[in-house]
Amino acid sequence: MMDTNPGLREVDVSVSINGTQVSHRVPARLLLSDFIRDVVGLTGTHVGCEHGYCGACTVIVDGDAIRSCSTLAAQIDGSAIRTVEDLATDGELTPMQQAFHENHAMQCGFCTAGFLMTLESVDPDGYQEKEQVIDLLSGNLCRCTGYHNIFNAVCSTWGVDS
Amino acid sequence: MKPAAFDYYRPGTVEDALAALGTSETAKVLAGGQSLIPAMNFRLSQPDLLVDIGGVGGLDRLEVGPSGVTIGASVTQSRVMASDEVAIAVPGLRRALRHVAHLQIRNRGTVCGSLAHADPAAELPALAVACGATLFLQGTAGRRTVDAGDFFLGPFWTDLAEGEIITGVHFPSEAADTVTVLDELAWRSGDFAITGLAAALTTRDGTVSGARLVSFGVGGAPRRMAGAEQAVLGFALGDDSSALYGAAYEDGFDAVDDIHASAEYRREALGALAVRSVRAVLASNGNGTGV
Repeated sequence: MMDTNPGLREVDVSVSINGTQVSHRVPARLLLSDFIRDVVGLTGTHVGCEHGYCGACTVIVDGDAIRSCSTLAAQIDGSAIRTVEDLATDGELTPMQQAFHENHAMQCGFCTAGFLMTLESVDPDGYQEKEQVIDLLSGNLCRCTGYHNIFNAVCSTWGVDS
Repeated sequence: MKPAAFDYYRPGTVEDALAALGTSETAKVLAGGQSLIPAMNFRLSQPDLLVDIGGVGGLDRLEVGPSGVTIGASVTQSRVMASDEVAIAVPGLRRALRHVAHLQIRNRGTVCGSLAHADPAAELPALAVACGATLFLQGTAGRRTVDAGDFFLGPFWTDLAEGEIITGVHFPSEAADTVTVLDELAWRSGDFAITGLAAALTTRDGTVSGARLVSFGVGGAPRRMAGAEQAVLGFALGDDSSALYGAAYEDGFDAVDDIHASAEYRREALGALAVRSVRAVLASNGNGTGV
């Protein structure tokens, strides 16, 4: 039996973020969203509701889109993270980013990084019906556009009949 | 908001996890964290120790055998949903998981975590009751199994004892003549249900010959609908649905009033969901295709 609490107030977190290896000792209570923004300094990931509802903080961890506000940095030690900064290469937008631009799929832009990372994480082959696209988009909130332009941008990129 | 400070421990074995839980009265088990971490961000929950079971050997097992599907405590909802083997053995799991939150949350959230959290509006507890699932629990005193029907006691309240953890859950294989479905009303796709229904329906010659109907998001915990389970026996696709509707409505006797819907609305919705679910299964010729 353990007599005393074996936990640690601070933990070492080593992750790959957008292909770069980083290691930091951080408070155990640090959220992944705050790790990315405040410790690593990548502020493209936005923090909206901080309780897993809005999806603004969506990033990709080991290939899967997740809510970084509802995950501890400590939990993803050893993982590979991708954020919105990893999408464009030398200023050249991805086809989805370009479609967002052309369809004006944003107004204030606060939610955009989260949408882009959700979309980046999935195989478009699984989303060839418009109902599937709508269901996929339902995990991210946009309070400006009414979603129509975002929906149009996705459908144009993935060849879905809207 | 951010979580209050806590100590973090990531054991490699169930025994170490249990020993750590025994050192603190406010310790919490962390699996996917998709309910716990938001609650901690709000400071509704302020454990002094988090025991992260993500690294515990063996809890990541997802096994499909002749008797059914066994899901370890750290297996994510997305992993269960993606498995074609699971979808063949227990089709109700994939059908239900479609309604659970969103992709990003299912990618971290676990099946067992949802059962342990026991949100009254959550889908998986109700599905577990409808399917006759069995939970595997382990504490320092030993192991035990509990039927899902005996596990959920009230809102966020289960039969789990202090210091005990869920190590896994077993969903029995769906019988060839039975279809398990889950339907719900929610204001937004993926939100918690305002009213929901999980149903395991057995049909013979186009009529219902057996039923386990479980309401959720109505009262404080998922509950078998005794009246509707009787009323639905012998029901065929073209039958008048008023008796089934009325029985399901009565089964919602302890529906709650809240900001999302009135108790009366929930009871009416429960009646409508019962009729809709039963008709959907019968319309599929009792084999669940397209349900």
